Amino acid sequence: MLAPNRVILVLGAIALLLFCSLDFGTIQPNRIVEGTPYGALDALEWGGFALVTLLLAVTLVAAVLALPGRYWAILVSVVLLLMALPWLFSGFLEDQLGERYPYGRGGFAAGFWSLLFLLALMLVEGLRQVGASAWLRLTAGVLVLLSWWRALEVEALAGLSLVMEFQTRPDQFQQALLDHLALTLGAVMVSLLLAVPLVLVMIRRVRWQRPVFALVSFLQTIPSLALFGLLIAPLSYLSANLPLLQQLGIRGIGWAPAMIALVAYSLLPMVRNLFVALTEVPADLLEAAEGMGMNRRQVFLRVQLPLALPVVIEGVRMTTIQATGLTAVAALVGAGGFGTFIFQGLGQAAMDLVLLGALPTVALALAADTLFTALARLSARLNGATAQPSLIYE
Amino acid sequence: MMRHWLTPALWLLVLVAGCLGLPALEPWLQPLVDGRQAVIYPRDSFVTLLLNHLQLVAISAAAATLVALGGGIAVTRPWGRDFLPMASQLASIGQTVPPVAVLALAVPVMGFGDGPTFVALALYGLLPILRNTLAGLQGIDPAVREAATGMGMSSSQVLLRVELPLAGRVILAGIRTSVTINIATAAIGSTIGAQTLGDPVIAGLVNGNTAYVLQGAVLIGLLAVTVDSLFEALEQQWLKRTPGLSG
Repeated sequence: MLAPNRVILVLGAIALLLFCSLDFGTIQPNRIVEGTPYGALDALEWGGFALVTLLLAVTLVAAVLALPGRYWAILVSVVLLLMALPWLFSGFLEDQLGERYPYGRGGFAAGFWSLLFLLALMLVEGLRQVGASAWLRLTAGVLVLLSWWRALEVEALAGLSLVMEFQTRPDQFQQALLDHLALTLGAVMVSLLLAVPLVLVMIRRVRWQRPVFALVSFLQTIPSLALFGLLIAPLSYLSANLPLLQQLGIRGIGWAPAMIALVAYSLLPMVRNLFVALTEVPADLLEAAEGMGMNRRQVFLRVQLPLALPVVIEGVRMTTIQATGLTAVAALVGAGGFGTFIFQGLGQAAMDLVLLGALPTVALALAADTLFTALARLSARLNGATAQPSLIYE
Repeated sequence: MMRHWLTPALWLLVLVAGCLGLPALEPWLQPLVDGRQAVIYPRDSFVTLLLNHLQLVAISAAAATLVALGGGIAVTRPWGRDFLPMASQLASIGQTVPPVAVLALAVPVMGFGDGPTFVALALYGLLPILRNTLAGLQGIDPAVREAATGMGMSSSQVLLRVELPLAGRVILAGIRTSVTINIATAAIGSTIGAQTLGDPVIAGLVNGNTAYVLQGAVLIGLLAVTVDSLFEALEQQWLKRTPGLSG
């Protein structure tokens, strides 16, 4: 006999409660005036309200009833709800904006965000319970994203303030994306290039290990704002006195301090994981390889490197996620990227602009996480070994 | 014997000296600014900023520790184990979200000031502590737990006398990570109206006053290093008290 799933039950009940009690969306007559909140029933009218409550009720019933296919019922309802949300919101925008507020705009409110968050948690739990394969997970994610993408494509969400903020500055958005990616990936690559020789030296010379680890941990301790700030004065001085640096665009403000700081922060995860990856290969394996007549180079390329690769990729994953967030902070020293929108928005108290910077930053970090986790699994599977990310946590 | 407390004490001394003594460095900082600008950040004293910064971090760390520890213990008990996979996934996926984004997203919900900064710090600070609490408690050999139960300990005695001391070092490391991140995030909290040592840096960046930036940056750096060395000393102390439990 199957027991009720308490996790889905609790999540579903909270989702239902918050959906019914919190504001679902807000309507602003224009960019400046404060928005009017709408509860779920007012926003979605009976049709949409009934649809959401019904699908949530299905998950609750399925969570309690001990029927064999219940997790599929839960998964289907949750995915359907996640797919329906943009279209439901689109209906709300059409009803409320319409001819009444030609310059009006709508925004998601707490109820919408809570629903989105809880549904995502229910999706994760449901996928886990059915023992979903990578393909099923991917399918669920793609279905939801396609629905949202379609809603944006046919301009069903044109009245959404976030979309409107984007549409007034598509070029700036693209530039921010490029700057953000360039800084983040640049820092990751430079730190990888620096970490490889550093770790190779550390492996050969044991007495280097402690000071190098001490240095990179110390750098990691310095708060980002402080490190960016500390770089400004010396860089301005150097730039003012060395024309060559000036020609290269290296100044106290801009990409130069950002890049230096990002590389400094990236060194710890990169060096630590590379070091673990290269030193934790079992010694008997290496001896066996040498016994088979491989030379040192062959042992490194054919045994050590493939075995180390999953752990190295895990290091690249952690570094990329960290650098994505720090690049957003680097906008404060004029480095560009999505942080520009965040801090501009905070300065103008324009919350939609803040969202336009913060949400893509989160999306980039999540995308990097997904990509590198998949790559690490793939490389581990190619080895026939299982990935051991637990090795890396301190 | 108490030698590991020497380093944090020295850093603390430098930090306090910095807060009180920076204004005296005015002549040396003068070349960094135009003649018309003030050299020393005038709006608040560095001591006020330091204390407010510390207060924000300390209260949010205390709240985060309480909730994360409670949550971590709850989901590792038999009655809460259903929620364990979700808690650990939440802890790992949540840490993917950059702290600055959490800070920024707190503003549309809660407005400007110390309040949203505090909530963002506490929420984000939860995650490393939760992750390490789970790792620490799950890393305990089940045989140890069984042995303790076999000795006649009640489940709460097992938790307090066996599990928490064994997991303590890992949990402490989680709190250290959390506090390190939060000192940095609280500094950025200046952009959403929290009063911290980030204020001089932000004001300096806005007005193009490198001297302000330098003063704020040095003090934030010193604060971070002081607190980190304090945790290092705590860890040493922990190791000394529980010599057999270092695994």
